Amino acid sequence: MSDIQEKLGAPEEETAAPEKLGAAEERKWPFKSEYTPEMLAEMEKLLPGKLNRVVATSLAGCIHCGMCSDACHYSVSIPEDKTLVPAYKADRFRKWYKSRYDWMGRIFPSFVGAQPLTKELAEEMYDKLFGGCTMCRRCTYNCPMGVDYGMMVRAARGIMQQVGRCPANLQETVDTHYNHGNNMAVPQDEFIETIEWIEEELQDEDGCANFTIPVDKKGAQYFLTLNPREPKYYPLTIQATAKVLNAAGISFTISSRYWDLTNYALFNGNDADAKLFAMWQSEDVQRLGCEYLLSGECGHGYRALRWELPNWVGGVPFKITSVMELMALLIEQGKLKLDKSVWAGKRFTYHDSCNIARSGGILDEPRTVIRAAVDDFVEMEHNKERSFCCGGGGGALAMPEFSPRRIAAGKIKGDEIRATGANVVLQSCHNCTDQLKEIVDHYHIDAKVMNLAELVAPTLVL
Amino acid sequence: MENTVSHALAILEEPVQYVALSFMALMYAIKIRGLLKKPFPPEKAELKGDRVSGALLSLTNVLRPWDMESTSKHLFFYTEFIIFHVAVALTIGSTFFIPLTPWLMTPTVSAVIMVFMGLAFLIGLRRIYRRLTVPEIKIISSPDDYFAIILMTAFFAVGFVTMYLWIEGKPETGFMWIFFLMTTFFLLYVPFSKISHYVLYPFGRVNYGMIFGGRGVLNKSKKDITWDPKIS
Repeated sequence: MSDIQEKLGAPEEETAAPEKLGAAEERKWPFKSEYTPEMLAEMEKLLPGKLNRVVATSLAGCIHCGMCSDACHYSVSIPEDKTLVPAYKADRFRKWYKSRYDWMGRIFPSFVGAQPLTKELAEEMYDKLFGGCTMCRRCTYNCPMGVDYGMMVRAARGIMQQVGRCPANLQETVDTHYNHGNNMAVPQDEFIETIEWIEEELQDEDGCANFTIPVDKKGAQYFLTLNPREPKYYPLTIQATAKVLNAAGISFTISSRYWDLTNYALFNGNDADAKLFAMWQSEDVQRLGCEYLLSGECGHGYRALRWELPNWVGGVPFKITSVMELMALLIEQGKLKLDKSVWAGKRFTYHDSCNIARSGGILDEPRTVIRAAVDDFVEMEHNKERSFCCGGGGGALAMPEFSPRRIAAGKIKGDEIRATGANVVLQSCHNCTDQLKEIVDHYHIDAKVMNLAELVAPTLVL
Repeated sequence: MENTVSHALAILEEPVQYVALSFMALMYAIKIRGLLKKPFPPEKAELKGDRVSGALLSLTNVLRPWDMESTSKHLFFYTEFIIFHVAVALTIGSTFFIPLTPWLMTPTVSAVIMVFMGLAFLIGLRRIYRRLTVPEIKIISSPDDYFAIILMTAFFAVGFVTMYLWIEGKPETGFMWIFFLMTTFFLLYVPFSKISHYVLYPFGRVNYGMIFGGRGVLNKSKKDITWDPKIS
């Protein structure tokens, strides 16, 4: 039994009774509705530990040139609020940093805009860095100095979260993951039943009688992970993904244990939780002896698995890829035959999730998939690594207190979708799905929102 | 034409400057050491691109305005930026050329530097105006931001007149004194001001290039892919 399994009290072999997944002892992270002097003092202690080279350079390196002002979906969509300019938002954190680490800031703080951490400044940090930034890194991409806003904002969030000042719903999502092993507390038996039901539905489709969705199949090549929204609300996306993988003859399995690819600790900045969730998944892939950890269609989940997990757990003995990349590869290798006529008469556009494209490096693969499946594909004005965030990233959908600002910030994306004249907005991320659905509804755009597996599955020539 | 200066000005131009320069170098060394002591985030994921070429691409993106939307959409602003920074380099350079290699400062070379100083002065005025009037710039500006750009603009103005007088064969003027006194002040002050951003620039660009280069976002056409998916 591994250290992690021992720590969690998880049995080595599967048993008939549902396992207690997640941490052995449940917890509820303390929630504070406002800052106290004790919390500020604790934050002062936490700051030095967050200053790696990238964060420190980013805090020291802003020259206030303002070039980020038209890079951010918040400041572009809500131009009347100048406090949403990325440099202004980051300065809420930077002022504090300068008061402690900038030479001039320590002697003449007001001259360089330095400010000791006060309750008011900390509240501004909370408002702007949780509720006014999705860590999409579009400003980073456009910053002449290379300031990494994503990493800097996550560091600030991590400090605030540690002292209990984190949007309640976001923290509850992380706590649920911690307590139950997935962020929607889907019980193991219910999950298995759902997968079995989806498998039956899949087998009822024409030409799919032999298709399966194996659970806990040891030695399968691909360990497919899911977003908990899929078994809960979008089972058809699991069905679509399974259909594609079966059609290509891929050996895959879904774990009955740590199948949740999300990691909301990426958003609240809690490194210990992020590492713990990553270790559960890493252990589970090794338990089943899979060669690949396969990320489903989920933006932050992909990034958390592909780019952060190996760092959080100190390296992994398996490879990590995504359904998006795998589908593109299967199409390029001729292992998937698609019939474009299924989508005849429809126009499609694709929204690049920030964590998949700009922070993930998946730029061409979705286009390979889309062009194989449809005839009428139109790019938005800003696409690939230059794409605007839809507004649903960074855990924004888990912060209902900032929802009006989130919807307002989606205007630029709504405008770009409308300009394409597309009937269908494709994407590969569940946070993007929910945000895009709200955007097309709010801005009265006549378009459906769909992910790539849902696009490909109906076109499969079996 | 051979310009000569008094012993007093020569002292300001050389030993005083060297002391100030050494001080600046020491401050920068402390700053750089502080940054280098901080750990770079680890990268244990299989790469989709080459981090070194990513860093090089990132470092040189200042020469490719089409790389970033913030520059490609604002080409006039970018052109101003280039002229301004070339002028900075030439102006600082001239404070070394004048005392050390005055024979290099021919009327033609001096005129070129003077033109850049003049343009940079005008750009500086425009930047001050921008900082005072554009709401999104005004809201992020600190006194240091204003002081830095006003100081640079004044430096260019003094440099412009100094260079003109130098071309006219008048090396020892009040403007030359002010020019070198300002230079000395700069060397002492810059490590504490935002003007020292050029020391942080390589760090920021390399950090960015390493991260996004490794992920295959920057160097799409030159991938060193270690990720190799297999289908059995």
